[in-house]
Amino acid sequence: MGRKTTSLNREATLAYFLILPSSVVLVSLMLYPIVYVFLMSVFKTNKLAGLVEFSGLRNYHQLARNPVFWAQLLRTLVWTTIGIIGHLFFGMVFALLLNREFTGRKIARLFLIVPWAAAIPISAMIWKWVFDPEFGLLNYSLRASGLWSKPPAWLGLPISAFTAVMWVDIWVGIPFVALVLLAGMQGISKDLYESAEIDGAGRWVSFWRITVPCIRHIIIIATLLTALWTFNDFNVIYILTRGGPAGSTDILITSIYRNGFEWLRFDRASTMSIVTFIILTVFSLLYARLYFRDEH
Amino acid sequence: MKKIGIVCIVALVVLLLPAMVFAGGQDEGKGNVTFYMALYDGLDQEFLDELEAGFMAENPDLSLEIVPVQWDRLRDKVTTAIAGGNPPDGSIIDTNWILEFMPLDAIDDIHQYVSKETTDNVFDSTKVGQFGPRLMGLPVAAGARIMAVNTEITTKVPRTLEEMREEAIRVNNPPNTYGYVMPGKKYIELTDFAYYVYAAGGDFFERGADGSYGKCIVNSPACVKALKFMTQLGNVDKVVQDGWIAMDRMETHPIFYAGKAAYVFIGSWVESAMKEQGATFKTVYAPIPGFEGQTPTSLVVVDNIAIYKDAKNKEGMGKFLDFFYQDEWKARFDEMVGFPPVTISASKLPQFKNPLYDALAEAAKYGKGWTPMVEGWSEARDIIWDQIVQVFLGRKEAQPALDEAAKAIDELRGIN
Amino acid sequence: MNTKLKRGQLRLTLVTVLLAVLLLFMLFPFMVMISTMLKPGNEVYSASPHWIPHKVRLQNFVDVWVKYNLLRYFQNSLIIAMGTTLLNMVLSVPAAYAVARLRFRGRKFVLYLYLVIQMFSPVIVVISLFKTFASIGLLDSYLGLIIVNTVFTLAFSIWMMSGYFRSIPKEIEEAGFIDGCSRLQTIGRIIIPIAAPGIVVALIYTFITSWNEFLFALSFLQSERLMPLTIGLYNFVGRWTTQWEYLCAASFFAILPVLILFYFIEKNLIAGLTGGAVKA
Repeated sequence: MGRKTTSLNREATLAYFLILPSSVVLVSLMLYPIVYVFLMSVFKTNKLAGLVEFSGLRNYHQLARNPVFWAQLLRTLVWTTIGIIGHLFFGMVFALLLNREFTGRKIARLFLIVPWAAAIPISAMIWKWVFDPEFGLLNYSLRASGLWSKPPAWLGLPISAFTAVMWVDIWVGIPFVALVLLAGMQGISKDLYESAEIDGAGRWVSFWRITVPCIRHIIIIATLLTALWTFNDFNVIYILTRGGPAGSTDILITSIYRNGFEWLRFDRASTMSIVTFIILTVFSLLYARLYFRDEH
Repeated sequence: MKKIGIVCIVALVVLLLPAMVFAGGQDEGKGNVTFYMALYDGLDQEFLDELEAGFMAENPDLSLEIVPVQWDRLRDKVTTAIAGGNPPDGSIIDTNWILEFMPLDAIDDIHQYVSKETTDNVFDSTKVGQFGPRLMGLPVAAGARIMAVNTEITTKVPRTLEEMREEAIRVNNPPNTYGYVMPGKKYIELTDFAYYVYAAGGDFFERGADGSYGKCIVNSPACVKALKFMTQLGNVDKVVQDGWIAMDRMETHPIFYAGKAAYVFIGSWVESAMKEQGATFKTVYAPIPGFEGQTPTSLVVVDNIAIYKDAKNKEGMGKFLDFFYQDEWKARFDEMVGFPPVTISASKLPQFKNPLYDALAEAAKYGKGWTPMVEGWSEARDIIWDQIVQVFLGRKEAQPALDEAAKAIDELRGIN
Repeated sequence: MNTKLKRGQLRLTLVTVLLAVLLLFMLFPFMVMISTMLKPGNEVYSASPHWIPHKVRLQNFVDVWVKYNLLRYFQNSLIIAMGTTLLNMVLSVPAAYAVARLRFRGRKFVLYLYLVIQMFSPVIVVISLFKTFASIGLLDSYLGLIIVNTVFTLAFSIWMMSGYFRSIPKEIEEAGFIDGCSRLQTIGRIIIPIAAPGIVVALIYTFITSWNEFLFALSFLQSERLMPLTIGLYNFVGRWTTQWEYLCAASFFAILPVLILFYFIEKNLIAGLTGGAVKA
């Protein structure tokens, strides 16, 4: 009994020692910014992000009374949901395709990485160029190849703009998800598949019965982080549409940026940031439960 | 192979480690002067390097750092720096920012640091940052907006907007030729709506006799007429490029440079942009026409340089501005960016005597300063843009949309 | 026997075709990029868009290096990205091991703590971080950027690697102990090779994220000679026109180092000695 406790203590001490450096860095750098965001949400701020007077929950009340906020919130949730589905679907498809041995696999994987290798502001600019109604090669190719004789002016109309921006956001994240899932799949023993095949299971069945459960924890992490990043994906939307046309691609993070950096209304921006934080926390807690359930 | 790879990486890391840890910015020991230079098209790094070197040669006790910043990102960077308590000594800023920064006491009076000789040499008409005896922004680039005509498509220079519309309809031949090009996408500037508002004799805010700004009148008949005109050109007459709702100014103007449009409202950069795109057609410049019965009223856009109150070396900044505004540097700058000179001495130089500059000067005579010097303009502008786009999309009528905008803007400014 | 072979062949062809089509979709903008970067400035906005340049201007490639200081931006990006990756690995590998393998109070809380950081977009915290870094004098420096990039990439590294560490069965570790290895040797010789895929992904992720970081580089840096590629490239976007041919040419070069890194590391994505540590 005594020996077990000491070994536990030793483990714990070692653990604390190992996590100390990263925790210290994180907490020391992020504590002040996060606390300050909380503060700005319950204060009235001036245009230099200074605290002027305590206002309690007034900012939150004003936000709740603003119909535009609710529309943005709803849009953000739709955006994130479609984003997660898109990322997972395409990521999984690529991971499965690239999991098999074939000549040129290395090159194919390299090509997969390319969208991720380019910085988002740059690739968003290039997509903007691709979508250009007059000079862009997308509409030109669609027309010239006969696939679509009158393609829309993508970024100008609400629905096509949302679709276009959603696609670019998914496009940006596919390589990452595919890679993470692929790495996970590498860890699955080939024997499992072989014995399943002997038992007469088809590919579809072995995918759901073997692949998915084995990389379950990786899917959970990938989904969680994708959700967080998609929810807060600022650059793609801002560079392509600035939230337009008429606010149809405006989500919470673009509104936060606009309020903070363009209108210098830091209190409003912070309030929305805290709302974002609360939503993401709830989501993560629910999701993390799935992850930790694995451990028993 | 793997071992060599590892050795290489370790060697690289060891070599770069000192750089990672110790590399910092400017030289210690000298007086540091930091200036954020917005990257105008046509301004090249070589010139900035020479400017830096030239200044430091004349002022060996000062170390100047000209920080090139892309225009769209300038605001982010300046806001962060000021809010973060570490502003540069000076930077280029949009006129309207002067108004945002003044109540925060973030910018300082130019007269205190820049010599009288330099400030006297700047045209008074460009000094939009003049508040009583204090000059809160030193004009660095000022230009009126004008109309450019592609003479290969049409030689008619319209004197009213109605005439322009008629001619545009006549020559319109999509998709090879458009009568007119116009942006319809939300953008960071509202100038593309303002052209028509001013052409209709309207304005965005009521002005008091003392120059103060009152109620928002973006829903006045003049503004409604302007918006209706734009919507008509785009959706009814269809004399503009097909995807106009999806294109902002930066995407629209290249259509003109490609020789596909008869008319465009544009600024002083038109010639350098056309040259870069290899345009070969001849253009004629004229003031932006007004509606029937109105005198043409153009916009004059002024960019300024501000000196920041909490900066560490404002005197050094002043010295730099004195140096920069000499003809040998400022005139070169003006030529590169394509703006007419703001300094009296430079404006007399021969390279600024050509049809484009003449047209700009002419338009400036009847021009109104842009932007409205109103606090909260960035929010107001956003509100107006969102409403305008709704009208372009056909979701709303012009009057109710602008009524909503006016109401929201008055609420925002606390005016009832 | 023959039909099985044929079915296998058909499946292979179908799969290859599908992969090719999907990759085409993914790489469309890069095809546009390549087309644009070969064009001279006056062809980019030509009256009728076209894929193949009428006149190929290879001078674009020279220009971006000579006229526009690309080498400097490259060096800076390299320093920042490598520094971040290094710092990140140093901080996250021990933490991931601890979280995965050791029992201690507050384990879940620590994992959650790392995740909380990800919920605050850099946009929201940039001003406060600016103040912090200004006060410790790390504003206009490589080290400042390295540290802030590390902060925002730690969460993923730790979560990712701990997942891998955890999936390694205890028996293998114990076997190492029995054979007389110290804990450190066990980690180095046994665990890390098996967890290699996870480590590789974390490494690539950290490198790419810091290689492509934009907001902090923009806000923190004053000196032009410290500016990385992301800032340098964005300068091709002017106030009235964008120099697409240069932006595309420079982007082409900016993507290469990431591809090169991936090319060399990629084989480590394949699992280690036991050919798979995850059991049903």
